Amino acid sequence: MSRPSPTSFFSFRRSLIIAQSTVTQLVRMKVFYFLAPIALLFLGLQFFDAFWYEGPEALMPEQELRMHKNLCLGTMMLFTSLFAIVSTALLIPGDIEDRTLYTILCKPVPRLDYLVGKLFGVIAVIFIAMLVMDVLLVATLHFRTEEKLIETTEYMTKIGYPEREIEAGRAEIAAHGPTLLLQFGVISHFLKACVIAAVALLISTFSTSTLFTIATSVMIWIIGAFQSIARDGLFNDAEFGDVPTWADKIVGTLVSLIFPDFLLYEAISDGAARAEDVLAMDMAQLGGLSALYIGIYVVLSWFVFSDKEF
Amino acid sequence: MSDVAAVEVKNLVKNFKGPFRGKKVHAVRNVSLTIAPGEVYGLIGPNGSGKSTTMKAVLGLVAPSSGMCAIFGRNSTKVDSRSEVGFLPENPYFYKHLTGAETVRFYGKLCGMKGLELKHRVEEMLELVGLQDARDRRLKGYSKGMLQRIGLAQALVQDPKLVVLDEPTAGVDPVGSREIRDLILELKNRGITVFLCSHLLEQVQEICDRVGIIHQGVLVNEGRLDDLISLEDKTELILENATPELMDQIRTLVEVTHGAGVISEGRARTTLESLFLKETRSQTLRVRKKRKRVSK
Ligand SMILES: Nc1ncnc2c1ncn2[C@@H]1O[C@H](COP(=O)(O)OP(=O)(O)OP(=O)(O)O)[C@@H](O)[C@H]1O
Ligand SMILES: [Mg+2]
Repeated sequence: MSRPSPTSFFSFRRSLIIAQSTVTQLVRMKVFYFLAPIALLFLGLQFFDAFWYEGPEALMPEQELRMHKNLCLGTMMLFTSLFAIVSTALLIPGDIEDRTLYTILCKPVPRLDYLVGKLFGVIAVIFIAMLVMDVLLVATLHFRTEEKLIETTEYMTKIGYPEREIEAGRAEIAAHGPTLLLQFGVISHFLKACVIAAVALLISTFSTSTLFTIATSVMIWIIGAFQSIARDGLFNDAEFGDVPTWADKIVGTLVSLIFPDFLLYEAISDGAARAEDVLAMDMAQLGGLSALYIGIYVVLSWFVFSDKEF
Repeated sequence: MSDVAAVEVKNLVKNFKGPFRGKKVHAVRNVSLTIAPGEVYGLIGPNGSGKSTTMKAVLGLVAPSSGMCAIFGRNSTKVDSRSEVGFLPENPYFYKHLTGAETVRFYGKLCGMKGLELKHRVEEMLELVGLQDARDRRLKGYSKGMLQRIGLAQALVQDPKLVVLDEPTAGVDPVGSREIRDLILELKNRGITVFLCSHLLEQVQEICDRVGIIHQGVLVNEGRLDDLISLEDKTELILENATPELMDQIRTLVEVTHGAGVISEGRARTTLESLFLKETRSQTLRVRKKRKRVSK
């Protein structure tokens, strides 16, 4: 039998083994069943027209499409973020509590591998869930857009609009359909869920219970959603004639490191839903920022976890 | 290579902090022990005496407060040290959602095994612990003894040179417990070092080459089993066809008796159990006396 070679402090392969087992665990916990009500919601929205208006006073078709997109994206965001928190909080404290961790760590498994593996596993499940929801979103939005296109064309032809204006109207509606731009919104919510999972990972390394991890992560999630507003209020308060000192700036930066700025993610997804131009550059920056956040949280988790005793 | 100790524990001290700066728990106080390769070493002691803590320190699951532990010369705090060791924790617990076969495969993969080698090994292990019939059942439905067996399979999956077993027979039925004993003897025959602790002293006496008795975190006695349980000032005679008259005669004068043969002669033995009781009781008395003195 081959003797294992010296264990490196991190092995991608081993992380993947743990990630794979995490995915199996989550799948066998039947987490994907939660997608059923979401699918129903998306399909139900399909039939939810603002039917109380008729004729020319009706909501503009692109407004209706936007509402559809906003509701769907909002649901996706809520589901993936909550899922990221709850599953991460269940997995690691669960392993510690029932001592499954003993048996894993007494194999030649570096602790970093274990943490990264768990995070990868959660992220993989989020990715699959996001993909399913994205397909649903695109499909429902596609049908709805087609419907609106036909309605509008009929309506405008009946009124007697010139061909050129009908084309313009159609183009406007199509822009609110399932475009590539919309995917930016989906991706930004996915990235946000990944960052939240990393936050929950960090908290679960020093917390002793699932409940504490969930509560604290939700708190950071909420603070993260409002922190840039709070920061502006605290440190850039021009009304009092305050010029931000370097100390303010350092504190501000620290706060923004501890509490990721989720407003940035919202900005992109809002822009995508409104069919405004979201620059690929901005998107790439958001991706980089997310990677940075996740990296920092993983390293911090590792510091806490490497000295942990069970 | 063979002159490196399989397990070396040097002046191990482990204190646990109590909650909120409460009283410190001295789980292990200055324990030193060495296990040679190929040896079966048994650690015995009352509940809470620090057996599991010592084992966890050897495996790097807890960091020593002072002192050091090493496996085959590699410090236990390093991940490398764990490539040659299999561990069965007390009351083992695994992922409930996995089946027996999947569990063994998972741990095999963690040890870097893969492909056909792993597949064969998984079957071999399941057969070894007698769980082929339950291989595709989820661990959720396993009984305590079955979990213990899957724990053994998991510990042995990468064919380690050292296995650390924390109460391997706890919760296993008498037949299974004998099987595990035989398994350990087989491991020994294959040259694998075994470090175990158990409350079943009869079994420890049957399988261990050396034992250590630990009491309140202190290693109070340690040595070769044969030496520990032999009594210096007594001699044992094993007689054949001894009649009551013969016994009378023997009592008066053994040497002049004819017709009865002395089959073996050696030192009479106490059992490990009585030694255990004696050691731990005397320690307790000593501690109590000390406490009384302190309180005065
Ligand atoms: N994580 C921990 N935190 C605090 N105290 C601990 C911890 N682990 C063990 N102890 C304490 O250390 C002492 C030794 O415990 P240990 O588990 O090593 O005993 P043991 O010899 O294995 O007992 P048993 O025969 O019951 O398994 C006990 O007093 C226990 O309460
Ligand atoms: Mg114990």
